[in-house]
Amino acid sequence: MTATTTAAATGTPAYRVTAARVLRSEWHKLWTLRSTWINLAATTILTLGMGAGISAAYDGSGEGGLDPVLFVLLGTQFATVNLAVLGILATAGEYATGQIRATMTAVPRRLPVLWSKAAVLAAVTFVLSLWTNLLTFPLAQSFLTGTDQAAALGDPGVLRGLAGNAAGLALLTVLALGLGAVARSVPLAAGAYIGLVMIVPEVLRMLPYGVVDDAVRYFPSKALESLTAAQPGPDAAAPGAALLALSLWAAASLAAAAVTLRRRDV
Amino acid sequence: MITAQELTKRYGDRTVVTDLSFTVRPGTVTGFLGPNGSGKSTTLRMILGLVAPTRGHATVSGRSYAAHPAPLTEVGALLEARSVHPGRTARHHLRALAHTHGIPGSRVEHVLARTGLTEVAHRRVKGFSLGMGQRLGIAAALLGDPAALVLDEPVNGLDPEGVLWIRTLLKSLAAEGRTILVSSHLMSETALTADHLIVIGRGRLLADTTVADFVRRSGAGTVKVVTPDAAALAGLLTGPGVTLATDAPGSLTVRGADAEHIGRTAAAHGIPLYELTPSTASLEEAFMHLTHDTVEYTATAEGAAA
Repeated sequence: MTATTTAAATGTPAYRVTAARVLRSEWHKLWTLRSTWINLAATTILTLGMGAGISAAYDGSGEGGLDPVLFVLLGTQFATVNLAVLGILATAGEYATGQIRATMTAVPRRLPVLWSKAAVLAAVTFVLSLWTNLLTFPLAQSFLTGTDQAAALGDPGVLRGLAGNAAGLALLTVLALGLGAVARSVPLAAGAYIGLVMIVPEVLRMLPYGVVDDAVRYFPSKALESLTAAQPGPDAAAPGAALLALSLWAAASLAAAAVTLRRRDV
Repeated sequence: MITAQELTKRYGDRTVVTDLSFTVRPGTVTGFLGPNGSGKSTTLRMILGLVAPTRGHATVSGRSYAAHPAPLTEVGALLEARSVHPGRTARHHLRALAHTHGIPGSRVEHVLARTGLTEVAHRRVKGFSLGMGQRLGIAAALLGDPAALVLDEPVNGLDPEGVLWIRTLLKSLAAEGRTILVSSHLMSETALTADHLIVIGRGRLLADTTVADFVRRSGAGTVKVVTPDAAALAGLLTGPGVTLATDAPGSLTVRGADAEHIGRTAAAHGIPLYELTPSTASLEEAFMHLTHDTVEYTATAEGAAA
């Protein structure tokens, strides 16, 4: 406050970098790219469309007792890729375009930029995914009345599953953002993300060791499944543990990004 | 004021900048000269905290750039490499940068107007010409109304109109009392705008002086003498550090002795002079003279043939 008062007295504007201002800058950057709008619109439409499509096509034969929330939110498979791309573009994209030099010249302490990007993307993807899920569920359920997949928002675990999925997607986006900051290359980070989220757990599951099976539950994609399900199966992690695991994945990725950002030249 | 103290940067076993120390004083345009690959960009990036020095340090107004609470008000920077997302409009690019410091939208409009970008501010940067991109870089540098400006090869690739615009702008910015450090490998261009010179070659300081002094001390200045008795005068002038060339009968080009000395020598020996013309070396010649053995990639006979 003293800085503001002094500045007002001398007539010079109180320009200075603050955490809130860096956050605002990153918010502005996110929404002023066409790719953000296209990406988020596509994510929402795919989730809604998939949910409605498979529900409308469902013949009610009940082959294998899928979880009603997992079933309706099958479209979020696309979201795990789309939103990760958004996260990677936010960091690695700045290196690809050279924008990072302008960003780091304005905020040479560097780390506030990383925290702001993570906060903005986590908030945006959580809120958007939550609303998308809250729309997709009733829409899909309108086709499912009388089938074994019929469920209501008030059923046990349904709201938790819809919200858990949104939280999981937000954490996956942060994980991808951190990978982008470490790799500084969009294709490299995308490869690492796909490897970690989609390939590695499948490969590990083929190994004949029980310990590995236990560990794979806490890998990002499996943890997201546990978070999304209204009633996680016996082989899945409990929702609380899954949320903790995903938070740790995101935190580890951010920590690696922070170390890279501090140590390496821009 | 920008200072560099024993700045050194190594990449693996390659040393790009070695023990570089200099001071850039306020209210002047300082030219930062060196051949391509001599470490200019790396030095400027070390001043801005984008690149960490292996040894030594750079300060802006007494502290490192990153330690300032409002860095954009200390130094405005135009880097050689494009530093903007092509998918954003010029106005939004500037606004995003402005937000970090709490700089108001009116200031963004002001720098857009000053750089002549108001008309195209709503367009995405990917459609910008090189000149427009350069203007946007300068608009970003001016955002914080900085006390100092650091510009890396600002006229590179610009058309004559763009070059003239930059030249005029730099002069008006210096007239406003700002410190300006402008790097270039173009000597003639620097001679037109700079008052002071910092010359580097292979990452080492070669000269830190005024433009006039640099040219004078480089020893590249010549005096043309036309006399009917060239052979006699040549004999009298010959000495350590003096070189003589005969372009035409009765005409001498003397390097290493000034017109006054030549005139007095001729008068003392009764040699008539028809012409005595000192010619100051261009900055180009002085620079070549100083850096000819520090050029990173000297064209070899094989290289020229290839």
